[in-house]
Amino acid sequence: MQTAFTDAQLRVPEIADARKILTDCVHYGFCTSVCPTYVLLRDELDAPRGRIDLIRDMLEAGGAPTPRTVGYIDRCLSCNSCMSTCAAKVDYMHLADIARAYIEDNYHRPIFDRLFRWLLARTVPDVRRFRRAIRLARLARPLAGLLPGRLKTLLTLAPGALPPTSDAVMPGVYPADGTATRRVLLLTGCVQQALAPRLNHATLRLLTRHGCDVVVPAGVTCCGAFTLHMGKEAQAKASARATIDVWTQQLDAAEASGAPIDAVVVNASGCGTTVKDYGRIFAHETETAEQAARIANLALDVTELLANVGLRPPDDVVPLEIAYHDACSLQHAQKITQPPRDLLREAGFTVRDVPEGHFCCGSAGAYNMLQPKIARDLGQRKAAHIDSTGAAALAAGNLGCLTQLALYTGLPTLHTVELLDWATGGPLPDGLKGMDLPAPVSRQAAASPAPASEGVW
Amino acid sequence: MSDSGNFEGFLGQVGDTLGSAHINTSDDTLTRYGENTLPGGDRRPAAVIYPGSTDEVAQVVKAANAHKVPLYPVSTGNNIGLGSRAASREGMVVLDLGRRMNRILEVDEKMGYAAVEPGVSFQMLADELKRRGGQWMISVTSGPPEGGMIGNAMDKGAGYGPLFDHFGFSCGMEVVLGNGEVLRTGDGSIDRPGDQPGDDGLVNWHVSKYAFGPILDGLFAQSNYGVVTRLGVWFLPRPPAIRSFHFAFPDDADLEEVIELCRPLKMSNFVPTLFRVANDLYAIGSEQPSPAYAASNGTRSISDDERKDLQRAHGLGSWNVSGAFYGPSMEAMEPQIQRMVSHFGASGKATYIPHEEALEKPSLACAISSISGEPTTTELGLLKWRPGGGNAWFTPGTPMDGKVANQFQEIGRKIYEDNGLDYTVMNVCGPRFARGLHVIGFNREDPDENARAARTYEQLAETFFDHGIGVGRAPLDWHDFHLAKTMPAFRDTVQAIKGALDPNGILAPGRYGID
Repeated sequence: MQTAFTDAQLRVPEIADARKILTDCVHYGFCTSVCPTYVLLRDELDAPRGRIDLIRDMLEAGGAPTPRTVGYIDRCLSCNSCMSTCAAKVDYMHLADIARAYIEDNYHRPIFDRLFRWLLARTVPDVRRFRRAIRLARLARPLAGLLPGRLKTLLTLAPGALPPTSDAVMPGVYPADGTATRRVLLLTGCVQQALAPRLNHATLRLLTRHGCDVVVPAGVTCCGAFTLHMGKEAQAKASARATIDVWTQQLDAAEASGAPIDAVVVNASGCGTTVKDYGRIFAHETETAEQAARIANLALDVTELLANVGLRPPDDVVPLEIAYHDACSLQHAQKITQPPRDLLREAGFTVRDVPEGHFCCGSAGAYNMLQPKIARDLGQRKAAHIDSTGAAALAAGNLGCLTQLALYTGLPTLHTVELLDWATGGPLPDGLKGMDLPAPVSRQAAASPAPASEGVW
Repeated sequence: MSDSGNFEGFLGQVGDTLGSAHINTSDDTLTRYGENTLPGGDRRPAAVIYPGSTDEVAQVVKAANAHKVPLYPVSTGNNIGLGSRAASREGMVVLDLGRRMNRILEVDEKMGYAAVEPGVSFQMLADELKRRGGQWMISVTSGPPEGGMIGNAMDKGAGYGPLFDHFGFSCGMEVVLGNGEVLRTGDGSIDRPGDQPGDDGLVNWHVSKYAFGPILDGLFAQSNYGVVTRLGVWFLPRPPAIRSFHFAFPDDADLEEVIELCRPLKMSNFVPTLFRVANDLYAIGSEQPSPAYAASNGTRSISDDERKDLQRAHGLGSWNVSGAFYGPSMEAMEPQIQRMVSHFGASGKATYIPHEEALEKPSLACAISSISGEPTTTELGLLKWRPGGGNAWFTPGTPMDGKVANQFQEIGRKIYEDNGLDYTVMNVCGPRFARGLHVIGFNREDPDENARAARTYEQLAETFFDHGIGVGRAPLDWHDFHLAKTMPAFRDTVQAIKGALDPNGILAPGRYGID
């Protein structure tokens, strides 16, 4: 694609980055039919190819973008399904990041929209504020019917019960069971600590059981993913920088002690995508770039680490049928699809792929709060596919997806680590309590393929 | 193409029938529907219409006849390298069937078929079969997963497994003819009062290809006589295990031996899949851009030394053979695999690449996916070999005779190199014939390279024609060219049929050279 930026514009690093990405687009259009918003709305500009044109026009023109352009960019989920299918390898993910940051800096949103976004960005990544907000939302839930769309959605999304504050995983070093073979940092996150600390506990048990010393440093909360996704780049970078500083101290101290850190482990794939991208995010900031790249190079999704370590399943397993949902941030951004499936199968579960697996469930960071109608349509569509698999439970590697899908599927929704933890000696996940579970069988029997019902082989 | 009075009248009539929401004349949309990857430039349509049913298609065709407005039907518009979703000429009205007519109308898991609308993609049907328990698999191309099954079958597209021939393994159509009449082919033509498509009464429509009377289905493959709005497509039971095998041969001239080795295995059908025989750049081009392009700004072909470096880096050869067995388990197929190892290894030139190792090489993993009925985007990487997005496919074929195939390789390679482009070919081999998928990748934004790409296609087509060889499918830019290479009686016949079924020349005039 041809661009017409001025030399002055190209001196801005982000514009130069955008130009490089834009020139890769040759309008093949494979992206359109895999784009959830295009499939739902059937508007060329609600597809990546159209949005790329809009972004080019917006950046070339400079100044304030039009509400029309902002509307189209806002409706993008940043699921990055387009990047998985793009033959020209257009780096849409970072182009969208640049566009969102540009809009944030140059567009004056209507007052309610501005306030709503400010509220989300200030509340969600802060565990205490977020918990307070959830309590308020629960109190206000009887009024939900009287509220406009977004506020009503917020009340709907608020969980019915909050785990006690004391459930949060505390900073410290959690030693490996037996001899340690690896030493890792664990990101416990912000939303996850508030809503589902059980996932962090399951991860700790799983990792320590598999020979990892796990370090949870004090002072790390939000990695910056949530606000980055909203275009609030300055806030995202501030969170990320604070995280990088703490982790860098840990890395240096560990190296000095002769027990270096082998990996930075993330169990929320939306966060993992951002942490792995730290090098790029800070590429133009010389004082942070090196440290950011160092962290990014060590970052692993928890399933990547476990695949490297090797799962230690017991001899007898419970052959529960699991529908595995690929979170967009895992499959499209991090390109991790096989390790979670392989691990679940090794643990004795029967893994069912979900039809239309390349599609987003509608969670997408703050998307289900900002674009509730599209998010609901996608959530219902995904849940119907999940239910069609006939599985007994749903697994995914991202809390956002699990929260979203719990609204629409009748199946128990579980993080991959909960199942792996249970299968290797941990407690039965809360989501499976009260279910009729299959009787344990030998792992060999669970691994045997079911005979095909058609054909003679 | 049409005068404004007729055009406005047509849009008005269609708007009354379909609703104005299903007519699109926005600038953004028209620009994008005209885009394609060919050297001949974009072809902007006058409007895009989204019908929702066979009846609506028929009504649009009747309106087009009344107002003399040409229509150009597309299914999902992923016909990359051959025209994408651009019309054969500027100013036509694109009939986008994929947007609303994307229903899987019927799945018969006992008889192993589905009836689909034009918007149903390979990915959609593969997903649906997965949703139903994964006991069946479809034949897929290695092209875009969102490619339409009807569009591909009607353009004589193909896959790689036992049901590779997508037109051949389709059965029973519903077609809106150029005059607006609706036709059901085969046993679907039985006319009992009250019968509707999909009725249980038409039990043989999608299971028997040979009903009473002429086989009309073939009329609608690579033609412009009708709009196919429903097609039966057959499945294959998914085997419990699929085990592939791959061999890399080091030298260009090894193609002769490769073809000779593949032929008997397909003649006896010992190997149930077709053989994918990909040259180095076809395989490697799906994994990375050309490392040689920048040095000459695309003015010269990649050198032999640069190709050898790439082969070494990717663990591949000048020619790379892929096939697979279907069986009850991976272990049970070990004897067949050993037969392949000794068969291909006899000359001492082949390097065996086992299934597990091939899964780690994207180009070979793509072959495995394609053979396994799993749509994949890997091969789309070929489009990035050179920058600028230009891509045209030249699709001649060769008898499965090693010497002949090698001769055509030498001719083709020289034409690519004379024009400073990179010889990129996969031969898809059956028992008697191999289709040679020649990818002409070029920088469409560079006028000189664009012209060289067009020249390459025309020199290839002329030279192969001189050797008595035509093409299987053709890019839009050269439909007239290829029809002009046929005998007068062929041209007269196809034109006469056009006159009978589409007397006003409403449907896709110029497509396949037929007006």
